[in-house]
Amino acid sequence: MRFSVRFYVAAGLVVLVLLAALLGPFLIGVDPNTSIGGLYDKPGVHPGFGGILGTDNEGQSVMSNLLYGTRTSLLVGLIAGIVASAIGLVIGLIAGYAGGLVEEILMGLTNIMLAIPSIVIVILLSVSLPQRNIFTLALVIGITSWPWTARAVRAQATSVRTREHIEVAKMSGANFWSILVWDVLPYLLSYVVMAFVLQVASAILTESSLSMLGLGPSNIVSIGMMLNWALAWGSIRVGAWWAFIPPTLMLTLIAFSLFLLQSSLDELFNPRLRRGKKVKAGVVTPDQDDEFLPEAGSAAGPAALMEAAVVDRTREEARP
Amino acid sequence: MTKRLLEAKQVTAAYHTPDGREVRAVDNVSVFVNEGEILGCAGESGCGKSTLGNVLALTARPPLYPISGTLNIDGQVLELGQNNKVPRTWRGSVVSMLPQGALNSLSPTAKIRGLVVDVLKSHGTKLSKDECLDLARDRMKNLGLPTRALDSYPHQLSGGMKQRVITVISTLLNPRLLIADEPTSALDVSSQRALVEMLREMLNQDIMKGVIFITHDLPLLKTISDRVAIMYAGQIVEVANSEDIAERPRHPYSKALLNAVLAPEEDTLAKRVEGIKGSPPSLAKPPSGCRFHPRCGLAMDICTQVMPRAQGNELQFAKCHWSQQHPHEPIRIEDVLRRNDEIEAPVLIKKEA
Amino acid sequence: MGLGRYLLRKALWYIAALFVALLLNFLLPRLIPGNPVDALVGKLAQGGAGSDQLQTIYEHYVKEFGLDKPMWEQFLVYLQNTFTGNLGTSFMQYPASVNKLIGDALPWSLAIQLPAVIIGWLVGNLLGAVAAFKGGWFDRGAFVGSLFLSSMPYYCLAILLLFGFAVWQPVFPQGRAYSIGLTPEFSMPFFMDAISYWWLPFWSLVLIFIGGQAVGMRSMAIYELGSDYVNYGRGLGMRDSQMVRYIFRNAMLPQITGLALSLGGLVGGALITELVFNYPGMGSLLFTAISANDYPVIQAITLIITVTVLVANFAVEVLYGLIDPRIRATQGGDKS
Repeated sequence: MRFSVRFYVAAGLVVLVLLAALLGPFLIGVDPNTSIGGLYDKPGVHPGFGGILGTDNEGQSVMSNLLYGTRTSLLVGLIAGIVASAIGLVIGLIAGYAGGLVEEILMGLTNIMLAIPSIVIVILLSVSLPQRNIFTLALVIGITSWPWTARAVRAQATSVRTREHIEVAKMSGANFWSILVWDVLPYLLSYVVMAFVLQVASAILTESSLSMLGLGPSNIVSIGMMLNWALAWGSIRVGAWWAFIPPTLMLTLIAFSLFLLQSSLDELFNPRLRRGKKVKAGVVTPDQDDEFLPEAGSAAGPAALMEAAVVDRTREEARP
Repeated sequence: MTKRLLEAKQVTAAYHTPDGREVRAVDNVSVFVNEGEILGCAGESGCGKSTLGNVLALTARPPLYPISGTLNIDGQVLELGQNNKVPRTWRGSVVSMLPQGALNSLSPTAKIRGLVVDVLKSHGTKLSKDECLDLARDRMKNLGLPTRALDSYPHQLSGGMKQRVITVISTLLNPRLLIADEPTSALDVSSQRALVEMLREMLNQDIMKGVIFITHDLPLLKTISDRVAIMYAGQIVEVANSEDIAERPRHPYSKALLNAVLAPEEDTLAKRVEGIKGSPPSLAKPPSGCRFHPRCGLAMDICTQVMPRAQGNELQFAKCHWSQQHPHEPIRIEDVLRRNDEIEAPVLIKKEA
Repeated sequence: MGLGRYLLRKALWYIAALFVALLLNFLLPRLIPGNPVDALVGKLAQGGAGSDQLQTIYEHYVKEFGLDKPMWEQFLVYLQNTFTGNLGTSFMQYPASVNKLIGDALPWSLAIQLPAVIIGWLVGNLLGAVAAFKGGWFDRGAFVGSLFLSSMPYYCLAILLLFGFAVWQPVFPQGRAYSIGLTPEFSMPFFMDAISYWWLPFWSLVLIFIGGQAVGMRSMAIYELGSDYVNYGRGLGMRDSQMVRYIFRNAMLPQITGLALSLGGLVGGALITELVFNYPGMGSLLFTAISANDYPVIQAITLIITVTVLVANFAVEVLYGLIDPRIRATQGGDKS
């Protein structure tokens, strides 16, 4: 396997974010929930690492909040990503491999869920939650964002279904579930990993959106909550840039690095899995089996990035 | 005395790989076609036959670069070279290509008539739109095609019909030479026959003057072509009348190829040349001497060192040391395959996986 | 014939989606332990409202939601109200109707979103196509830039723009949609005033939308560049300009669907962009409704967003069916 420059850049950025989230809270030694100074003290007013980015509206260390917040956001993203990928994987696998009526029903459901903007369901669910902590939020985000993973997995599983080795497995008497797990799943793993990366990224963004709308987790700092406070307390208007620029950039950095990682992973994995012609069938011609539009070109639909990356790679192969 | 239509001399073309190497997929190949003739071209996949087709059709594009050679098509001369520009209007009018129609050779969102008009217009026709369409309609009528195909989208045509429509479009400008690259490989037998008959008919009507027909389908080649060129590892190893090559091949590779199970489906390299083990050599590092010697049961010491010269004339020749030394002795397949046991089989298994 | 069947099928699916959306909209807020009206009345009582007044308010909501009836009947009441265009009464600003609140907010949201969608789509596709054709450094720059923009949340750019161009370099006014003291009216001075407030929210949406569209269009165009019909066209000696027309047409089709699908993301992103700029649209309304547990308003906004996105998507499907000849054929019976 040859890693591209893009991969190293993306992986480097992701590792950077992970280190900040994992080690940062231990290194900083400043509790994000205690005041170290007054309202919007400038960076450097307070000594040490904790004061490096000044204080927020409650006089708490912005640096400490940023590190703890990143950890929270990543945690939400991971849990939501796992939930969404697991549901999407199971539904997509069963639909794609079983075919027939099962497929019709499952994909009908998936497509309906895809058509309804997920932010709407997330808002409704969050509003209805008796209490909001990071686990319930992650769960809510996870169970609203599985559909496009399901659809992507189904498309792959359908193409695997007709391969010879599946026939062989059937003839040798393997049952449905064992074929699914041992013969179909391995072909999809790289795909699922990529979808998972995108799910994590979009879950982190969704968490921030919710927090900014006032539906964030209570009693814990996340990047979205930092932005929420920054907005509510008018830090932008008073020019306290240290209160809102760091979380803004951190959020962008997380999303960008994960998207970039996905597109470079795609480059890496796909040459073995899919060849030019197959990609073509999935991307350009309208997918007749889908009741709704194929996802494309949307900032909120990371599937578009996957497609973009796939097609991009096709070209790189065509003219080196 | 028939007139010479194509003289392609010492054509070399290479692919530039991403790591900066040069793979000569066509290496010093000369091809000659007479007027009214169909020249078949066959060989394993990867032997360079399609590359040769692209170079002759003037459609080579990066990463494929023509390196050297001279083309003389009905008096129009072109020096091939990496930086030599091909006049755009030569394509389609001097030499034209006939691709495999099952591929997406037609834009899915344009009607056939649109393409017809665009092709004629891009060659500076003075005809009006309707006259362009009349031209195509006449042509289709003469060839027994339904003219309503003009008003169709590509997906509304059957595979065979699409292929015949593409053939009409490719020859709208009466190209002197038509390069047909596997045009029949996705068609059923009756559509194949229809296409082949149509090509013959077009030659008779003088729509084009000659055809190079590239295919892996040897039985078809025997029925359609006047002469057949067999390619191996970027070179033509034998050219002969199609009768002769079937009955008296003068190159062991031709013999082995013809002996192979003639499976109609592509991609089964192993099946097609069942009998010769091993796979064609890497063109990045071709073997010394005769390129076939590592797989040839008749190989002698000289074969490993000296590239054999062509025996015969430019229209019929074979490049083989053994044939040269045994001018009247037919090649026996058992002899060619003698080395099968020595050659390791895993290569084939790898190909199939 | 084929097209008709195709549209009918699509319409049925969208109706099904609408039904599910309505059901979720109805059901989810009712999952809250206790019922929202009790909670509201409790809150009002703390605020010192008289018991008579409370009783009136309570009865109003019980009647409006049909809370004394079984669930399925409540749903029918909800459906009936929704389809007759009655979105209920606000908790927070009782007795203001939700219709009125939405009516005030919606035009502002449309004012920044519609132009952003249309201009962003056109510019983004143009940029993507040019990047694909040109290649080289322009392509790389445009691709990475677009990828960066499209992975940036809408509101992050909004925050940066607000700080950069309203606070740090005060080129544009901060927040709101028009100067304090003015009332919305159709007059030139008001329009000029409002447009100075409009620029920043607009840019924050359109830039990111351009990024997303450009990434998509670039891949499509690149993909088409390598396709067989381009090779064939070249082999026939066609002009580049003619080939570009074919390529553009084919690359454009998927981008039309891209437009519809990015609408969902844009609408969601715009909600928070409005918050950042304190723009008096649906996002700000939603924010205040959430902080006050104003369920009727929340439900109305989520419903409107859903319906808008569904209708937009369906419109695109119709358009797609009309311009892509393949759909007519493949849906016309023989599914090969």
